Amino acid sequence: MKKALVALMVLVLAVGTVFAQGGAEATGKIKMAGIIRNQNEQFVVNYTENLKKVAAANNVDLVILDGEGQVDKQLDQLSTLLSQGYKYFVIIAQDGSATEQMAQKIAEVKGAAAYSNIQPSVEALKVSKQQYYASSPEAVAGQYQAVILDEYFTKYPEKAPGKVLNMLYLEGQLGHPAQINRENGLIEELKKLGYTVNFVAKDTANWRPDEAQAKVEAWIAAFSGKFNCVVAQNDDMALGAIAALKAGGYTKADASDGTLLTVPVIGVDGTPTGLASMKANEMYATVLQDAIGQSETAFYAVLEASKTGTAAGKTINGLTPPAKPIDEAPANDAAVIAQCFLVPFKPITKANLAEFL
Amino acid sequence: MANKTKSAAGIALKKVGKFAAKYTTYLTFVVLLVVLAILTRGGALRWISIKNLLIAESVRAFAALGVGIIIITKGIDLSIGFVVCLCASVAASFAQPADYSGALFVGKQFPLFLPIIAGILTGTVFGLFNGALVAYGKLPPFIATLGSMSIAKGLQLIYTKAAVVGSLRPEFKKIGQGSIGPIPNLAIYVLIAAILVWVLLKHTKTGTNFYAIGGNIQAARVSGIKVELGLMVAYGIAGLCYGIAGTLQASRLGLANSLTANGMELDAIAAVTVGGVSQSGGVGNVGGMMIGVFTMGLINYGMTYLAINSYYQQIVKGLIIILAVYFDMRKYSKR
Repeated sequence: MKKALVALMVLVLAVGTVFAQGGAEATGKIKMAGIIRNQNEQFVVNYTENLKKVAAANNVDLVILDGEGQVDKQLDQLSTLLSQGYKYFVIIAQDGSATEQMAQKIAEVKGAAAYSNIQPSVEALKVSKQQYYASSPEAVAGQYQAVILDEYFTKYPEKAPGKVLNMLYLEGQLGHPAQINRENGLIEELKKLGYTVNFVAKDTANWRPDEAQAKVEAWIAAFSGKFNCVVAQNDDMALGAIAALKAGGYTKADASDGTLLTVPVIGVDGTPTGLASMKANEMYATVLQDAIGQSETAFYAVLEASKTGTAAGKTINGLTPPAKPIDEAPANDAAVIAQCFLVPFKPITKANLAEFL
Repeated sequence: MANKTKSAAGIALKKVGKFAAKYTTYLTFVVLLVVLAILTRGGALRWISIKNLLIAESVRAFAALGVGIIIITKGIDLSIGFVVCLCASVAASFAQPADYSGALFVGKQFPLFLPIIAGILTGTVFGLFNGALVAYGKLPPFIATLGSMSIAKGLQLIYTKAAVVGSLRPEFKKIGQGSIGPIPNLAIYVLIAAILVWVLLKHTKTGTNFYAIGGNIQAARVSGIKVELGLMVAYGIAGLCYGIAGTLQASRLGLANSLTANGMELDAIAAVTVGGVSQSGGVGNVGGMMIGVFTMGLINYGMTYLAINSYYQQIVKGLIIILAVYFDMRKYSKR
């Protein structure tokens, strides 16, 4: 019987090669690998799909490996790829703390890497001038959310008497740079705009819609009528909140204020499902985390390094590193600022939604 | 004369068949290795590949040794992933530098032995807790460890406030990332642990008691074995293995977070089952467990090397687990 098991394992591997995306073929083309933290978040999927397109358009051999949310798996994948001769990487790390180790391994073979979405550590960028940050400073997303809220409540001041915001706030994975900085950006900007922010409830839903839905359902039961806005740190969680609000009866027939919900719900990412929700007058607004811009910038930074030795200080995909350090890591360190390509966030409201659909 | 030759050939074939049946686990490994070597054009047999495999599978090997012992007693442990995660987090929290503002204990630098002891102790306590639930609480191991899995997850989130426990001190990271000559430290630890567990199972009364309990608990009791104590020891040793796994994982990665080691229970259970440890209890050995771990590792490694889409990888792993258990159950169901 176990012979059948042996046969099956062998068969599975053999059949698997049919689905293989390509190994270490010596084609003379530049070989690049995408080490991506997972493939079950919309932003990451969009990033990956665009990376494949750009690689194909530039005649680069690209393999994509899915880290399935595990830091150890990503490190093992990197080791395997290095043993196959890969030197150039586009990375969405599961955890920024692991990027220094990744950078050291890549530097050993004089390779290059660009990190998006999850900030690499300053130490990772200091490993060599061939390590790049191609992402968006997270605090800006929070600031745009604050500006959008201000626009809404300036138009409808009766919904936030005394400029008091009673907020349900859905956070991403705790400790994640985006979780920390998006919240900081939101709160600081709202304070500047003269608002008092009360978190009626605030908790992590780990970026996931199902967790967000469950959280908001519980909050509705506990704090019914006591909140006037819902802010989520990504669109997936905003959509989970919307499902809970709809089930909880927080709907109205009139969408003249831009939403069929009785309270505005704001996300971040500008995912296709998020934009569809906006089109259906459910989600009020979002902030585009530019998956296309990030993946292209990361790709071209690594490509430039593979061709000319480094991309530091150069204009990549239309972006030039900032002249001075900003407040947010890793671009807050003058020693690595030339390796930081900051892809801007873009607010998406009803006014400009059509541009993104 | 012809008949004699025929019968000699028949006997030889039977011998080969018997040999193959006895060493299926090992043959599976060798066959896979050969297939992979062909598919990777020799890449899988290079030292760098073997080294990568040893590093990648070492932590799982500790988990497998632990759960292997439990399965020999006819138990199961679903709490592995989150217990390892908790142990990694505890160990990491004592290995952060004093000047790191994001540390769990800001301003405190602990001696290097503390994270190691704390991680291992956490695992052992959890193992003993599982053992008490199964041995004295008489809970089915599946349910007991399902509950403790959730408790471990909750404790990890409370302890770390769901944040990443990172920026660990270089001397702690060296434990898991260093090597002696070309041999990674992790591989050396696994070798030592495997030898110790082998001695325990093969050459001590405690070990033979595990087999007796797993083989027939009533018979074991009648023959004077202290079944409850035996189960406590089995789960306790398993917990100790998870504690080491967690500590090494934190050291190897240089961090711990709430996703560390998630799903490791499936990997470990699958590995030991592929390695011939029977879910029916009373059957299994350390050699099989290790071969099981590295067989699964080879499959993982092969799929990564060949860049097989991760969606297919999930299916492959699932199929292997189902089939390994299916064949195991058919083999031992008549006992």
